[in-house]
Amino acid sequence: MKLFPTRPLRLPRLRTYVPRPEDPKIFWFNSERADIVDEVVRRIMERYDAEESVELALNDCAYHEIRRLEQIKSEGARRKLEYWRGILRRVGRMSAEGKHETLREIAADMSRDVAGNFDPRVYDFASRFVPGVLTAAMNPSGILKNLMNGGGRLDGLVTTEGPIDKIRQLSKRGTVVLVPTHSSNLDSIAIAWVLFREGLSPVVYGAGKNLFTNPIISFFMHNLGAYRVDRRIKAMLYKEILKAYSCVVLERGYHSLFFPGGTRSRSGAIEKHLKLGLAGTGVEAFARNRARGIDRPVYFVPATINYALVLEAETLIEDYLKEEGRARYIIEDDEFSRIERWISFFNKFRGLESVCVIRFGEPFDPFGNPVDERGDSLAPDGRVIDPGSYVSRRGTPSVDARRDAAYTRALGKVLAEAYQRETVVMPTQLVAHVIFRRLVRATPGLDLFARLRYRGSIAIPGDELRTELGETRDRLVALEAAGKVHVSNFVRRESPTTILDGVLETWAGYHATRPVARMQSGSLIAEDPNLLLFYQNRLRPFAPEIAGDNEADQIAAREIAGMEHRP
Amino acid sequence: MSLPIAVVGGGSFGQSLARASARVGQRVLLWSRRPRELPEESITCTTELRELADAELVLFAVPSPHVGEVADELGHHLDGSHLLVHVSRGLVGDELHTVSEVLAERTPCRRVGALAGPLVAKNLASDEPSGAIIGSQFPEVVEAVSEALGGPSLRVYSTPDLVGVELASALVGLVALSLGYAMQMGMGPGALAVLATRGLAEATRVGELRGGQPRTFAGLAGAGDLIAAVAGDGRPEIEFGRALAQGLSLAEAAERADAYIEGALLAGQVAAFAARARVEVPLSTGLARLMRGEISVAKLTEALMTRPATRE
Repeated sequence: MKLFPTRPLRLPRLRTYVPRPEDPKIFWFNSERADIVDEVVRRIMERYDAEESVELALNDCAYHEIRRLEQIKSEGARRKLEYWRGILRRVGRMSAEGKHETLREIAADMSRDVAGNFDPRVYDFASRFVPGVLTAAMNPSGILKNLMNGGGRLDGLVTTEGPIDKIRQLSKRGTVVLVPTHSSNLDSIAIAWVLFREGLSPVVYGAGKNLFTNPIISFFMHNLGAYRVDRRIKAMLYKEILKAYSCVVLERGYHSLFFPGGTRSRSGAIEKHLKLGLAGTGVEAFARNRARGIDRPVYFVPATINYALVLEAETLIEDYLKEEGRARYIIEDDEFSRIERWISFFNKFRGLESVCVIRFGEPFDPFGNPVDERGDSLAPDGRVIDPGSYVSRRGTPSVDARRDAAYTRALGKVLAEAYQRETVVMPTQLVAHVIFRRLVRATPGLDLFARLRYRGSIAIPGDELRTELGETRDRLVALEAAGKVHVSNFVRRESPTTILDGVLETWAGYHATRPVARMQSGSLIAEDPNLLLFYQNRLRPFAPEIAGDNEADQIAAREIAGMEHRP
Repeated sequence: MSLPIAVVGGGSFGQSLARASARVGQRVLLWSRRPRELPEESITCTTELRELADAELVLFAVPSPHVGEVADELGHHLDGSHLLVHVSRGLVGDELHTVSEVLAERTPCRRVGALAGPLVAKNLASDEPSGAIIGSQFPEVVEAVSEALGGPSLRVYSTPDLVGVELASALVGLVALSLGYAMQMGMGPGALAVLATRGLAEATRVGELRGGQPRTFAGLAGAGDLIAAVAGDGRPEIEFGRALAQGLSLAEAAERADAYIEGALLAGQVAAFAARARVEVPLSTGLARLMRGEISVAKLTEALMTRPATRE
């Protein structure tokens, strides 16, 4: 009996694909898959060497699985429930060998469930046709033409910025750990497409179980290197297996992707408090390789994914604003699962050029040091330093979980700073911020939730709004020149009137249940403060610096910046 | 042979650290800008920072105004294998950056820590029993500091709450300064107790905002340090406060107390930080206004005493 969810569909293996020398490392993945699973199980068993800790792990696993399965009403769940109840009953009477063997079986089953797959045929298919499918969704009238030649249109809609050549170079010398911001389930697809287009290697990545619920998406995810992360499984053993799996994969040189935000940003803000649990295995992988005498550098590459419209914006902000929001950690019924929202989403960008800007930041080593074009780590004075010195004491490299956890925490700070610096301000975010600042100004002394009830009652004369938009944009451009943030080309180049008209048109079609904002008799009416908050949150850290000099603007900006201290 | 301990800074604190380390059998390399000689055979004085690269543990005893500049110079000679621990009581800028953050930014060292608690140069150099706390998230830093300094006369405790230790150490200095001020003004034990405990509560609030743990402020780095200061361990901040209460200017008071003006200016930094975070820091805000000459002592005392007394 399989204890964990069934595996997604795979294509039958008619003949073995033999990778060519120029193929990316991930093309070898399937030939190493069994080895990787064995290594994960070996490490887990090494960790649970003592009998007491094995018993504790078995009890913990059984307890959490029983709690989870009791909520599911199916025959499969009932059988699994019986299994775990049996473990709980028997564990006290098992011999030491019996406990070890039971744990080994569970660990092997969990590891096999987690392990991903990479099918070069699926990769080939996806890279040819997925852009066409996405582009067709954006322009349904040209469906046939788009299906055959979709890349061209998508190229224009998803733009890429940053040191791509350098990243390509580094991926030949070491293991790249890509760590983007996370605001939509579209992120994985957008990143995968951009990596392909820019000639960067596909990556191994952990995808939430909720992404596997749609059979088509699940098929692609599973066959393109994704491993399954089921957040509903709370057992300590499962978390350790995920970490061990990620570490083994990185040690073997598979470029990987993690979303350190942990989940999609509910508030729309750039993530600040990062969970580097899995990404942190990059530090351990580097140390383990060094301790074995293998010099394979690890490079962390931050990236921001900046959307003009966020597909799931309405659900995300609603969830953020709910007091019990945290409980809904896994959302399975949002806009991502509704195809009509996809079509509507992609159809609304005619006025704004880019749907999405993916900006890669400067790579750094696992200890936060920048690296040069050759991949050497640099000290603050520009000197080349050996990253191995960070995992060594008196010349001997070692693996030390507490030390590496401390490095990982420090890395979280470096990454959070990089996210802020590499943010690309999109037109919708700029317009939302200026309107929201006016809303805050017009409602002095109120708390956030009271302000959010001001639906449709704040009117801003169009001329004033355009002037403020222009001034705020100019201050953002000055911040960009100071290296603190980036702005999209559309924001930098176009007039305030064009920006405002483009944004209103974009919002009007997609967020159609209730317009975000609309013009009436020459004034703008702020209709949906929740969505304005969502889009403007991206600018929250910069609010005081982009506000006008007048006192009312400054007070409002400080309030907006201070909103991050609230739950 | 074991690696030497490096001490950066030839001032009284640096020399005392070197002596304390030599006392427990360590070889010490002491760097100072000016050539020095110490009688202890196991202490080698140098003016060349590059010589410190031979050490693993580097104790950084540089006054906070010079931290950045010396860190830049020192950084040329270190790498990721060095363990860098400072004893500064300062914080940098209105964001209240800690000295360990500055060291990690301006040198290649990441394994950093802060040594704090009731440590004063005079007691450290002598054999008087005392204690200290090392804050670091790195177990090897804790181990190295305990080996380098711990012994029969110095108990070295540890915590992973580095930022808490640094905030407590700096902010206790501010509370000590206000206690010195109050003592000079003739305030009685009751008023001093209120000032000390409310000052510590304020320090804890600010520390938590920066990510510190409240219990660190109740331990050796916070309450322990403050008790030592009030008990008369010769802390310059107490003398600084007394001198200010006598009407001396900041510069004159600092000179008399052998302290740095920055210790007093910290009140303004804390007030600005707390205002942005919308947290009340009446003591720091009052002190900052006092330093700027915007308020008299009588007015400040009145303002503090008439605040509504709430649940502790």
